[in-house]
Amino acid sequence: MNLLASEWIKLFSTRTTWTMLGVGLLGEALFAGLFVGLASLAEIGEISEVATGVGLLLVLALVLGVLTATTEFRHGTSSSTFLASPRRWPVLVAKLGTSFAVGLLAGLAFVAVNGGLALPLFESRGGAMPPAGELVDVYAGVVVSLGLICAFGCAVGAIVRNQVGAIIAAIAFFFVLSPLPELLPGSVGDFFPAQAIGALHGRVEGDGTLTQLGGGLVLTAWTAALFAIGTALICRRDVTE
Amino acid sequence: MTGFLGPNGAGKTTTMRALLGLLRPSAGEALVEGRRAAELSEPLRTIGAALEATAFHPGRSGRNHLRALAAAARIPRPRVEEVLELVELREAARRRVGGYSLGMRQRLALAAALLGDPRILILDEPANGLDPQGMRWLRDLLREQAAAGRTVLVSSHVLSEIAQVADELIVIRAGRLVSQTTLAEFTERGGRRMRVRAGDLEPLTAALVEAGATVERDGESALLVAGLDGARIGETALARGIALHELAPVGATLEDRFLEVMDDGEGGT
Repeated sequence: MNLLASEWIKLFSTRTTWTMLGVGLLGEALFAGLFVGLASLAEIGEISEVATGVGLLLVLALVLGVLTATTEFRHGTSSSTFLASPRRWPVLVAKLGTSFAVGLLAGLAFVAVNGGLALPLFESRGGAMPPAGELVDVYAGVVVSLGLICAFGCAVGAIVRNQVGAIIAAIAFFFVLSPLPELLPGSVGDFFPAQAIGALHGRVEGDGTLTQLGGGLVLTAWTAALFAIGTALICRRDVTE
Repeated sequence: MTGFLGPNGAGKTTTMRALLGLLRPSAGEALVEGRRAAELSEPLRTIGAALEATAFHPGRSGRNHLRALAAAARIPRPRVEEVLELVELREAARRRVGGYSLGMRQRLALAAALLGDPRILILDEPANGLDPQGMRWLRDLLREQAAAGRTVLVSSHVLSEIAQVADELIVIRAGRLVSQTTLAEFTERGGRRMRVRAGDLEPLTAALVEAGATVERDGESALLVAGLDGARIGETALARGIALHELAPVGATLEDRFLEVMDDGEGGT
């Protein structure tokens, strides 16, 4: 708990975090205003497209997760951190937990903006509203997906400590490489993060048959595996900055 | 208080980092109070460190930096204000570290080291970037800490700083221990020399060399004599009928000794 508190202070005592969350939510509001407000209903498509207009926030949450791990190495505060807690793996677990929590928070903020802005706009334009239960499922999936993608970023950052390198690696893997297996026949794509996010958001693409829960589990498994590698590396490496 | 000396690249910082568990020694072990740093149950209360050019997040305030550390080490928040007071950084505590001067960063690093009120303090070049007042302030602070019963290990390349505060001295070179003694013993081991003045230096020099001394000219009218004590020098002069105007011991400075040891190759002890 004490390490979580420490990470929480670190995360929210710099402007970066606030800026990124702010930009993400602003993007979300713009999405609601421009896309939901101006595009034709046919272009907008299903309600799930409205409820999951979360692309920018996903990228930002991923980057924020990377930062929770790499910032300390970039600015050399890792020495201080590992002096206060020389056992390193609990620090990393705290970072993972913090990034997951921040992702969830971003998700909740997203739901607030979406439910308060995009949905009413959609409805007022005559869009067909889904049953409440379905909407709750989609929103829950969005919140969880943001928590998981943020934690995923943290795991990548633990492996690639170079900040720019880690951000590029995380984005390239998540948004460029991991959608590729969807193009293959069969359900190979189901086992990659991009499809898992889609499933979490209640959208199934390609030949995939992934359920929402399945999507969550796939993303969790990826995060856990990468995190284990990153933690093992950081526990072995020398801290020279 | 122990001074930790060595030329640049000798391995001072590396030694300290290994001691703190940040580096894994390729051979041997680094223990603090008989345990490895990772095994200390209350690390910040046992050992506090300010490493060379301790880094901070430029966008985080000094106070928040300390708060994050305090939270991690289960140190109550009021202690953060105490150490800020102690290093005279209270007024700047709200500002982002990016705007701090080098001296202020040193103070903040020192505050972090003192946060857990540790029994051992490890300070790597703490005087870097301090102005003369800052130096004096640091000296007083270090003396206070040592007087309060804390063990202080301080590295520096400013030899005069070390000479003023250290009781013990550890000298390393190229990763090897060259000397570990008290400061007094270290400077004395260089062999005391005597400054000798006399009316006529030529015959005196010849006589002293004959008696087994090494003699050097010290300016126009004095000699520096090594290898003979004062009594033998006096007797030698008397035997030749030369009147001595001055006969005084000259202590080697820490700097002299340090350079001597570095030149020595394998060195002394």
